[in-house]
Amino acid sequence: MLKRFEQFLLDLAAAAVAGLCLLITVSVVLRATVNSGIPDTVVLVAELMVAAITLPLAAATLARAHIVIELLAQNLPRRVQDWLVVLGSVIGLLALLPLLYAGWHEVSKTFASGSYYFGQLNLPKWPGRLIFLVGLGFCWLRLLIMVVGDLRTILRGDHIDASGGSTKEMMAEQE
Amino acid sequence: MDGTVVGLVAFASVIGLLAIRVPIAFTLALVAALGSFVIYAFRTGDFTPWRALRPTSSMVFSNSFDLIHSYDLSMIPLFVALGHIAYRADITTRIYHAARVWLTHVPGGVAMASVVGCGGFSAITGSSIACASTMGRICTPEMLRMGYDKRLATASVAAGGTLGSLIPPSVLFIIYGIFTETSISALFLAGILPGLISLLGFLLVIWIWVWRDPDAAPVYDQKVTMGDRMRAALDAWPAIALFVIIVGGIYGGIFTATEAAAICVSAAVLIGFAQRTLTLRALWESLRETCIQTASIFFIAAAAKIFVAFIALTGVAPAIVGAVTEAQLSPAVLLLAIAVIYLLLGMFLDPIGIMVLTLPLMIPLVEGYGFDLIWFGVVVIKLLEIGLITPPVGLNVFVIANVVGREVPIDRIFAGILRFLTIDVLVLILIMSFPIISLLIPGSM
Amino acid sequence: EIRLILGEPGPNRGARAAAMQHFVDEVSARTDGEVVIDVQWGGALFKANAAVGAIADGVADLGTIIGVYFPQEMVAYGIADLPLVNADSWVGMRATDALIRNSEPIQASLANQNLVYLGTFTTSEVNIGCKDAAIRSVEDIEGLKVRGVGAYGDTFRDYGANMVPMSIYDAYQGLDTGLLDCSQGYSYAVGALRQEEVMTSYTLLNWGQVGALGIFMNKDVYDGLSPDIQTALAEAGVSMADKLGELITADNEAAIEKMRGAGVEIIALDTAERDKLVERGETYVTEWIAQAGGAGLDGQALLDSYNDLLVKYAEERDAQGYPWTR
Ligand code: NA
Ligand code: NA
Repeated sequence: MLKRFEQFLLDLAAAAVAGLCLLITVSVVLRATVNSGIPDTVVLVAELMVAAITLPLAAATLARAHIVIELLAQNLPRRVQDWLVVLGSVIGLLALLPLLYAGWHEVSKTFASGSYYFGQLNLPKWPGRLIFLVGLGFCWLRLLIMVVGDLRTILRGDHIDASGGSTKEMMAEQE
Repeated sequence: MDGTVVGLVAFASVIGLLAIRVPIAFTLALVAALGSFVIYAFRTGDFTPWRALRPTSSMVFSNSFDLIHSYDLSMIPLFVALGHIAYRADITTRIYHAARVWLTHVPGGVAMASVVGCGGFSAITGSSIACASTMGRICTPEMLRMGYDKRLATASVAAGGTLGSLIPPSVLFIIYGIFTETSISALFLAGILPGLISLLGFLLVIWIWVWRDPDAAPVYDQKVTMGDRMRAALDAWPAIALFVIIVGGIYGGIFTATEAAAICVSAAVLIGFAQRTLTLRALWESLRETCIQTASIFFIAAAAKIFVAFIALTGVAPAIVGAVTEAQLSPAVLLLAIAVIYLLLGMFLDPIGIMVLTLPLMIPLVEGYGFDLIWFGVVVIKLLEIGLITPPVGLNVFVIANVVGREVPIDRIFAGILRFLTIDVLVLILIMSFPIISLLIPGSM
Repeated sequence: EIRLILGEPGPNRGARAAAMQHFVDEVSARTDGEVVIDVQWGGALFKANAAVGAIADGVADLGTIIGVYFPQEMVAYGIADLPLVNADSWVGMRATDALIRNSEPIQASLANQNLVYLGTFTTSEVNIGCKDAAIRSVEDIEGLKVRGVGAYGDTFRDYGANMVPMSIYDAYQGLDTGLLDCSQGYSYAVGALRQEEVMTSYTLLNWGQVGALGIFMNKDVYDGLSPDIQTALAEAGVSMADKLGELITADNEAAIEKMRGAGVEIIALDTAERDKLVERGETYVTEWIAQAGGAGLDGQALLDSYNDLLVKYAEERDAQGYPWTR
């Protein structure tokens, strides 16, 4: 269920990249041909950037795509390595907490006050912040589920396969 | 509580956590958040943790959000997408086929072509990360497929990517120019020769590497006729067309360097569809790959930005520069000390962060010594570029690692990087010893 | 000794940085060294677009807020960005300073956001430089590709300019390649960024300035200080405006001389043409009054007091000269 939702978030992110690419292309073409443009391109692109970067974080976490340095760890006993994987995720859970706390604070503040960006359209500030919160929130949830799953694996006496997948292999898994 | 001590403990903690396989983004974000919390909690003298909660979370949020919420940085996912789309549209394979048949007899020719490609790409983007992301996606998998040594295939592009900020246009030179009130156009011109010398240096590394270990770069031993070569070159036209569009557009005043990324992606999609080598489904998969790849790199960059703000709070940078100022070193020793400082900071922090933290103090110091600020700018940017490929936090290396995944572990890439670092240090000494290398072109304009 | 952290988005170079340093030194001097301010330059702690939250939350104790990033939170301060007629830096700063410092509704709205106003800067008057084009009348604007500044850019758009999104630091390359025909900006910035190398004309608009940027403080921290220190901060804030006025006026004049030397044609826009810009720009003034109303402020009343203050300080300048020439 969560996995399908993560795929949906990833699709949204892909749509955001397509959207910002189209937005910039059209504004360049309009400028070069009919000497015109799209209002507030800069703000719209920045908001889409937040979607493109934060929404795939949960899927990236599931694929264990976060970059690690294995030089030392790979020489340790397999069991210790398993525990280090769990530790890494727990540190991720802790590291995201202040971001989630502040993100929630920001969303409610900008929503309540009606803050907006200077521009022709006076676009509101809350949507980008909400997207940020959603992206990181699902990343946190995914980490939590992985910690539980990994602990179960260890308690079962099995080992965790934590070798980070390359993007390509990851996509293959998803298809 | 002394900020410098907190800062040094933080650096040590980062090394410790990275060594035990904690993801880089999590490490930087958590250490920065905890460190800031401690500093804010002790600001009034006694320990008041409840007062530290709000500033810490606010600082952590704004620094990460503002890095991502950026129009200018949109060029990074777009250039990454360009790499993926060009690959799926069969554009990159054809360039590599052309490079292979043309460079049959040059050992390591394709790695050299990749580095030259990085140099060319540097002329259209101002960001080393964008350069490494795009070229990494385009070059590295092809070299691995040809049977190149994994260290060579990855390290050459990670190092080549660092040309992005030395060869104009360059975001780092713009920021340096703002901090020193020196002419940005003069800085751009000053970067050209050192950039080209660095490029030649990288070619030399590849040449020596392959000369000593011929297996590192398998030679394509099929018989190749001139006709084959012409055909391969003609087949590579989409790549050439893209390059012409982008260079012509930027230097012809049709679009900005930031907009160029989007135009290039759109053009690649059109070419792919027109040639029927790209399907809608393949396009969508390219975009999804792009997202996962850029998300994890931006996650690290955002965490690094938080870390920079934390280091600003600690006052470590003024403490170091202050110590150097008080030591009243001779000009040569000062230059050496500056190089060491930037290399040390470059191990952990990103280039922009380092400049923001150090330049306000460093520039008055070097001005007092009568250093030429344009030349000093080139020295600083070269030092910062080296930081992008030094462990433990080397963003360019992470970018490449991201592309190749489990095929090549990070420490293998860093192992390959060592040889390129050697030449980088030599080039650096050259640039520091002979300011004329930097000042020749701006001086003649 | 009290150590305060100040967050500043800009570099420690140029007239504004010197005025900021003057503020810091003045605070130290006026408190006999009891208050020491550590400046974090270049947005090391927070970027300009996060300043309001960062100062209110105590990321820094005080710092620079640039109004254009916060059209809603800093709506009252935004009055200093409106395209009104006043090209004099010092007059603009002192009028803005007096308005914000003494208006109770504005103080209350800032206090609501946990902020206290300390002092004001200006980017100085907005002018426009062009390559292979020259603006002598509003008709000349039609069809030009322009990099613009706030409501001044909007007014140019209304006159048919095609606005190109670009930072002032990229304008050199933009003008050079022909991506831009013209770039709005400030004389000293043209000089600092060497834009005279790629400009052929520079039109002095004699219009208005962008002045909604200044130093604000975290209210909790401010309230914890003794009244003597609070007074010292306020006095240092006023003194900062005088200092910046002196520096920026000189820098602007020097930059225009430098442009002349580089062969750039300096055009003083005809007053009648200028008035057409002002008239068109009134849309944005009216819009602002509505926005201020939305925030519970009497925009028209604030505008009237602001215009009175502009007259007052212009008269003071005419009668006594600038403070640094007295
Ligand atoms: Na470049
Ligand atoms: Na590094």
